[in-house]
Amino acid sequence: MFTGVDIGGTFTDFVAVDNGRLRIHKQLSTPDDPARAMLFGLAELSGGDLTAIARLAHGSTVATNAILERKGARAAFLTTEGFRDILAIGRQNRPRLYALQPQLPPPLIPRELCFEVRERLDFQGRVLKPLDYTALDATLDTLKAQGVESVAVCLLHSYANPVHEQAVRQRAVERGCFQPEQIVLSSDVLPQFREYERASTTALEAYVRPVVGRYLRRLEAALPPSLPLSMMKSDGGTFSAAAARQLAAHTALSGPAAGVIGAFHLAQLAGFDRIITLDMGGTSTDVALCPGEPVLRAESEIDGLPLRVRLLDIETVGAGGGSIARIDAGGALRVGPESAGADPGPVAYGRGGDRVTVTDANVVLGRLDPAYFLGGGMSLDTAAATAAVERLAGLLGMDVESAALGVLEVANSNIERALRRVSVARGHDPRAFTLMAFGGAGPLHACDVAARLQIPRVLVPRYPGVLCAFGLLVADVRLDYSRSVLGPLTAETVQALRAHINDLEAEARAALDAEGVAEPEMIFRPSVDMRYQGQAYELSVPYGDDLAERFHRLHEQTYGHALRDRAVEVVTLRLEATCITRKPALEPELLEANAAPSARIGQRADGVAIYLREKLSPGSAFHGPALVVQLDSTVYVAPGWSARVDAYRNLILEPA
Amino acid sequence: MPVDAISLAVFRSLFESVAEEMGVTLQRAAFSPNIRERLDFSCAVFDAGARMVAQAAHIPVHLGSMPASVEAAIRAFERFEPGDVIILNDPYRGGTHLPDVTMVSPVFAGAQVAFFVASRAHHADVGGMSPGSLPLSTELYQEGLIIPPVKLVEGGRLSRSVFDLITANSRGPEERQGDLEAQLAAQRVGARRLLHLVEAHGYDALTEHANALIDYSRRMTEAVIAAIPDGRYTFEDALEGDGQEARRIPIRVTITVSDRSFAVDFTGTAPQVAGNLNAVEAIVRSAVYYCLRLLAEDDLPVNQGCFAPISVTTPSRSLLNPDFPAAVAVGNTETSQRIVDVVLGALAQALPDVIPAASQGTMNNVTFGGTHDGRPFVYYETIGGGHGAGPQGDGLSGRHSHMTNTRNTPVEALEYALPVRVLAYRLREGSGGAGRFRGGDGIVRGYEFLAPARLTVNSERRIYAPYGLRGGRPGLAGRNRIVRGEGEIELGGKAEFMVEPGDVLWIETPGGGGWGAD
Repeated sequence: MFTGVDIGGTFTDFVAVDNGRLRIHKQLSTPDDPARAMLFGLAELSGGDLTAIARLAHGSTVATNAILERKGARAAFLTTEGFRDILAIGRQNRPRLYALQPQLPPPLIPRELCFEVRERLDFQGRVLKPLDYTALDATLDTLKAQGVESVAVCLLHSYANPVHEQAVRQRAVERGCFQPEQIVLSSDVLPQFREYERASTTALEAYVRPVVGRYLRRLEAALPPSLPLSMMKSDGGTFSAAAARQLAAHTALSGPAAGVIGAFHLAQLAGFDRIITLDMGGTSTDVALCPGEPVLRAESEIDGLPLRVRLLDIETVGAGGGSIARIDAGGALRVGPESAGADPGPVAYGRGGDRVTVTDANVVLGRLDPAYFLGGGMSLDTAAATAAVERLAGLLGMDVESAALGVLEVANSNIERALRRVSVARGHDPRAFTLMAFGGAGPLHACDVAARLQIPRVLVPRYPGVLCAFGLLVADVRLDYSRSVLGPLTAETVQALRAHINDLEAEARAALDAEGVAEPEMIFRPSVDMRYQGQAYELSVPYGDDLAERFHRLHEQTYGHALRDRAVEVVTLRLEATCITRKPALEPELLEANAAPSARIGQRADGVAIYLREKLSPGSAFHGPALVVQLDSTVYVAPGWSARVDAYRNLILEPA
Repeated sequence: MPVDAISLAVFRSLFESVAEEMGVTLQRAAFSPNIRERLDFSCAVFDAGARMVAQAAHIPVHLGSMPASVEAAIRAFERFEPGDVIILNDPYRGGTHLPDVTMVSPVFAGAQVAFFVASRAHHADVGGMSPGSLPLSTELYQEGLIIPPVKLVEGGRLSRSVFDLITANSRGPEERQGDLEAQLAAQRVGARRLLHLVEAHGYDALTEHANALIDYSRRMTEAVIAAIPDGRYTFEDALEGDGQEARRIPIRVTITVSDRSFAVDFTGTAPQVAGNLNAVEAIVRSAVYYCLRLLAEDDLPVNQGCFAPISVTTPSRSLLNPDFPAAVAVGNTETSQRIVDVVLGALAQALPDVIPAASQGTMNNVTFGGTHDGRPFVYYETIGGGHGAGPQGDGLSGRHSHMTNTRNTPVEALEYALPVRVLAYRLREGSGGAGRFRGGDGIVRGYEFLAPARLTVNSERRIYAPYGLRGGRPGLAGRNRIVRGEGEIELGGKAEFMVEPGDVLWIETPGGGGWGAD
């Protein structure tokens, strides 16, 4: 049995595949000790026999929350003399353009714990000033006396030569001040130039590593030793708990990644390999474009702090079921980013919320039906929602239905903008894609959003509410390596690149071996970040013959022009090492054309038919307007759309 | 299609996404650190009457000054063809200062011009008497190549002659070429997207909503003004020298608030100066609009409506309304900051519990260039400083304030690309003004030159420190000096200097003013 577990703030979701069939389970989370909910759910799924589980991958927000809530380790920062305030100054821009008094979130590492080291390298890694050990010793003693748990070390130009950073670690260990894993070197974490981004990434690692380490120890102590635990990374791959302890910050942006991986896997099975994902939850919506495969990007941040780990290219917009609608002082309707959250939540939840949300608009329009919401497990106060939308409608000078439609329209136009950013703005035509809708609210909005961008098809997976847990099941093991190779592209550079690739491959192979995947199939993809001399940013070119020509072509494709007479530089060598995991097999079922009579459990006065998802069999087909209700979500099939169930029990919606 | 509260929100999003996609294209394709790393550019959409409908701005000083570019393009040409791109940088015909190069493209609905899209980017060098094109000049001709509104692209065909003429006048012709190409790509993207919108929604619906959006921002701005107590508020502060002589150059403002109108009169401001500090009216407007924008809701769309309730009066032949060909190189960066200081200083009398003390009030422009290993190099950067403290707390330290928000160039990128070594880049401790809330600290940045170079520094607040409010102390004034061997040379606020290898330039930027008595 393969099991994926997605540990969220409220619920812990489980998906297992056993004999080709999917099973799901939902469990209230136990934030004080996440292992409790995890073990309880695993026992449920495995019938008490944890040894039946062959592979266990999990996603967790432990690093994310430590950063957002500033509950990370007591960390210190060491850098080159003259640069103590790298973290404080950042890129010297303020977070908001128009603010009387712009504010910054509190720093991860206070200034009192930022120290300078006397040393200096130049950009080629040559030592200009040797490391001053006497001063270093005094600083290390201070750090120890201060009760520091971890130390981020980021010295200028260490990407070109890590000698001084490594010497700092060695000294700290020899002096008995720290264990090696307590010293986080920027040349290990992100050996790339641009000191602020590298320092920030290193500081984030130092800040979360002890927290993630403690969390994993607790979890592993509770699991049988025979059951290896792996964890989701921001790039949609997984790695072992042992690797996660050394690269803890790589988990900090993993939240929405598993959903995209799961969505893409299911879409491919269903025969669609160009998809846009629409993951709509309570407070926000995540969208990502997968033109044949999920896309990665190298630039990202968390809470305004650069975190340069590779991550899936996901755009987030503050529009979810709980997003609040209001009329602003200029008379325009606004929806979000303010959210009613889970508490008090939408008016319809009856928990004291009194401001109209997207969910309330869906209730008023009958797209969420109180009789079937969450399988009837939670009541919806339609009267209260209607009264609230009526108040809004009065202010807008329109009827209730128009107001509710307006709330959805504004929310959907915000989502449309995010979809345009990932598709049109990057040169992709959305009309050539399938919209994969999931999350609690994605399937409610999918038809409208697809229509806005003329996306011809919507795919709703069988279990849209637990797709992240499914993604964990099918994610591959992935490790990333990089090395700074700043310089002009010459024959020598190419030779040096080849040698570096060999080194990195050997390193990667050993690391993948240590992941302990059965029957490993390893793939190494080297690429080189390149640019024209004088350019300030790079394009990542797959490694191969005639790198210069590859770069020109990619530049032309990306920006519409190439400058073939211009000198080309190489900046960073990357190696993406993937270990393809054995995927749980999902068996297609036979299609049997039918109008889903047994699944049709109602026909409302407004003409909307109600279907029960679990009774929809492969081959069923019907027309909108219809609602498909299920435990974890509701699907709205708009008028003029048709729906059919494929061999994997996905719902496929298309304009009729 | 009638305009309602819902369609208003939807069309706002549509128009803004056009400007946003232009910006993404420009940043990604640009060559220079100034555009790619520092984001010194803005993009916007205008209606046929040159009224701004939406913009994606990184730089507040571009805020109110772009409509003048579109107006100048319209004035210069009787007719446009689809595919035209007009380029300009002349401060006296739609520009601000020469490095800010603006492109304007018409977008057609049938045979008539329906909209314009425009982009403005700060190009690192456009010629003139010193590298970086921010010289200590006394007339515009010394500041670089003057580009009046001309068609760079005519009916879709690029004019190679114009393009080559412009790039040949830059100290970095290859970089100019790359940046101009990127800007052209942004124009294409914007024009295409807007054309799609015209096709999808029709010209009438689009213009009605553009009008409604402008009206919407006007109402929102009027509401902001209505919340300011009626009255006349006067404030004066000063610049320190125009690069030709060090002397007090006052900027004086009288703001008259009456119900929903906001009249800003700069009578009493110094006459135009011989040096490079003059600011054309578009800059003055930008600075004034910026101040009111600070008081509005966070996501108020910036368009022509924001400007409607505001009137700006500048005495003719003054620092803020100079006659051609007065020098203007740093009016855009330095004078604009002081305009903000006086407008906010006046507003503080009306809104004493809202307005913060003065921020650093300068951009600390550092430009240098020369030849190294047989290749020319040129570099421009600005340095952050202390923010003023205010009723919400201490001021930020080491960040850009008010009229700019450009990012720094990483030290590691700088040392790789140029013969210079950065010796320090840290906060200038204790430079923020004391008070109940402390002003933010400035920055100390030290550059050791490894090759001879011609250095230009344009900075302010080296004498007159950023003011405190409500009993808060002023921030510490900045300081510029060169250390050569054992000796030290004070540069003052503005200087041109030939540096030798081994010389170290130290820039200490001002701290922000404090707020409230201790």
